[in-house]
Amino acid sequence: MKNVIGLVNFHTAPEVLPITASRPLGSTSYLGRYAFCDFALSNLCNSGISQVGLLVKDHQRSILKHLGNMSSWVINTKIGHQRILYNEPAHRDPRLNTDLNNLVENDWLLYDSSAEYLLFVPSHLVVSMDLRPYLKNHVAENRAITLVASKQRNVKSAFLGSKVLEFDAQGTLVDANTNAGQYPGPASVYLDTLIVNRHLLIELIQKYKAVNPLLDIFSLLLMGYKDGVAPIAVEYFDGFVRSPDTFHHYMDYSLEMLDKHKADQLFNPQWPIYTLTHDTPPALYGVDAEVSNSYVSNGARVQGKVFNSIIARNVIVGKGAIVKNSIIFSSVKINDGAVVENALIDKYAIIEREHTIKGKAKDPLYVAQGAIL
Amino acid sequence: MAIKIAAMILAGGKGTRLGALTKKLAKPAVSYGGKYRIIDFPLSNCANSGITHVGVLTQYESSALNSYIGNGKNWGLNGVNCLTSVLSPKQTEQGSNWYRGTADAIYQNLDWLDELDPEYVLILSGDHIYATTFDEMLAAHIKNKADCTVAVREVPLAEASRFGICETDERNFIVGFKEKPKQPKGTLASMGIYIFTYTSLKKYLKADFGKEKSDHDFGKDIIPSMIARQKRLLAYRYAGYWKDVGTIASLHQANMDLLLSGDPEIDLYSIQDSAHIYSEDNHCPPQYIGTNAVVRDCLINQGAVVKGTVDHCVISSDVTVDEGAECYNTVLMNGCHVRAGAKVYDCLVAPNEIVRKGEEVNATRDGIALYAGGRTVK
Repeated sequence: MKNVIGLVNFHTAPEVLPITASRPLGSTSYLGRYAFCDFALSNLCNSGISQVGLLVKDHQRSILKHLGNMSSWVINTKIGHQRILYNEPAHRDPRLNTDLNNLVENDWLLYDSSAEYLLFVPSHLVVSMDLRPYLKNHVAENRAITLVASKQRNVKSAFLGSKVLEFDAQGTLVDANTNAGQYPGPASVYLDTLIVNRHLLIELIQKYKAVNPLLDIFSLLLMGYKDGVAPIAVEYFDGFVRSPDTFHHYMDYSLEMLDKHKADQLFNPQWPIYTLTHDTPPALYGVDAEVSNSYVSNGARVQGKVFNSIIARNVIVGKGAIVKNSIIFSSVKINDGAVVENALIDKYAIIEREHTIKGKAKDPLYVAQGAIL
Repeated sequence: MAIKIAAMILAGGKGTRLGALTKKLAKPAVSYGGKYRIIDFPLSNCANSGITHVGVLTQYESSALNSYIGNGKNWGLNGVNCLTSVLSPKQTEQGSNWYRGTADAIYQNLDWLDELDPEYVLILSGDHIYATTFDEMLAAHIKNKADCTVAVREVPLAEASRFGICETDERNFIVGFKEKPKQPKGTLASMGIYIFTYTSLKKYLKADFGKEKSDHDFGKDIIPSMIARQKRLLAYRYAGYWKDVGTIASLHQANMDLLLSGDPEIDLYSIQDSAHIYSEDNHCPPQYIGTNAVVRDCLINQGAVVKGTVDHCVISSDVTVDEGAECYNTVLMNGCHVRAGAKVYDCLVAPNEIVRKGEEVNATRDGIALYAGGRTVK
């Protein structure tokens, strides 16, 4: 689709401490093989969108490292491209580091483009989403703005930090507010996915930008909507979607994928999720290895026991070591006889021989990147 | 711009003894080690040696192999000043010819080499499994002002008649060479890996082309005629892991060599520190090991789903082993599915095969079997 620019928005991701202390959520490891932004990038690629920009908020290095030469998510490597959009001036004042200011800082995208539509997708949602029907409807119905939302039964402890769309009795959108768990019962959660006509966005920026320098893109559009200059249509996505909004949810939403039925809802062979390749050999299991109900990535060497866990690339599980109900990030060494239970072990950490790390099932432990315990 | 060295990889072989595996596929494209194709090894060796210009000579069932090689991207051989060319037989002004032998294949591509104008030409087989760099061999070739350097290794006397056997003098120069001798005089075997000084190579290939009685083969014709003319042929001894997998049993063994319990000389993980073996990557999710699975002494690639028992196995991507299925000492190639209750022993299961529910494959365990086309072949 040549008249669409896809924008992967890293600004809208929640802060998930402690894992996002040194990386954005979008480039955080998921299931040992992916980064969350692989879903957004693959959804754009599979939907036939070749011109892609990444609205990067912070921790560029982590994103650039994951993107490599950026050819993993494009169909035609000449026509397709991914551009990093970064708001350097805003670094002096983090409050100004919004997606809208980033876009304005990189406004060649708004003015030097022939694309008619801008499609924003979030960097952190776990979702396989075909964007083509929404684009098709947007164009066919000559819409100004299309928001994609999901009807959720319960948002008291899910989609925290996401916007919940509020409607009146006639079903007309009246407002949107950040979910802090205040909504009882079902709710329409805005999936940070929207289509807007490029010229309209330019107009809205010119009209409202000066009013408030802290505005984000969504609030800008909502302002236009409330003023009656930018009609909004809402589409609903009814597939599987997760927002890893807290550390506990990060653990839960990762480990729930060990249920094959859940994983099948997310992974569709007809809708591949692409990621960066690392040329690591297949995983190697020793004679005394014991593994059950786990994901294991290439490059891992398992000689101990692994139960209900996720083992990322180049992890070593030594002889007699036990890993249970845990997530192990890449290049971690769990030495002989060590025990890891209910924990997330961040990259490059080393758990020494016979050492025990035990968290609680409801309160998993976090071991920091590079720690030696 | 003249270049120092170009590599020519001979990848046209049929691999007759691999039966159904090479029925529709050239031997270098046969899958190996859960993730790789055999040709990944020579190509990665070239890349890791800093070689930038590679010609791959294909002939038998070349389509899949040609697309796999492409522009060399999988091995990084598509960079600035790199060139990867698939060289298949072609029509020319003189007519059209299949490659009549290894030497003829290179002869027919002298124009490709001339354009590169290399000082040296490295000639490799596309179907050998080994991980090395050619830096030392090239240094030895240059230092000794050789016309040709042949990589050699000691083989057991009983197997010597399968190889080209070299006789060397005290300085390691080759003074005698016999291809597949019935009564081998020695055990120093040629590995089919050569570095030629290009001018010498060209001269001998041109002379050989016109000979009616020639097999147009490096081992049978080119090397012996260079020795006859007292050219400087250096033997370069290579002691590391190296396998020319010709049969189902040897391909099976080469797979098993990769396991932790296998041959310590080949370790995909220790190669990594200095060099990787590169390959095509697929877009499968990570491998999933099921709740009741038993996984012992295995090498398993991403995208595999193992819910049954796998013991001493090499498992490729997109393989499914159902709960209740059992595989022992077996290679499961990409996309195959072992259904519940099936038992597979000492076997190489071809790509995309389905081992039926409750089926027993090679239960007699009297040798390595190939499972292809829904049946067991020995």
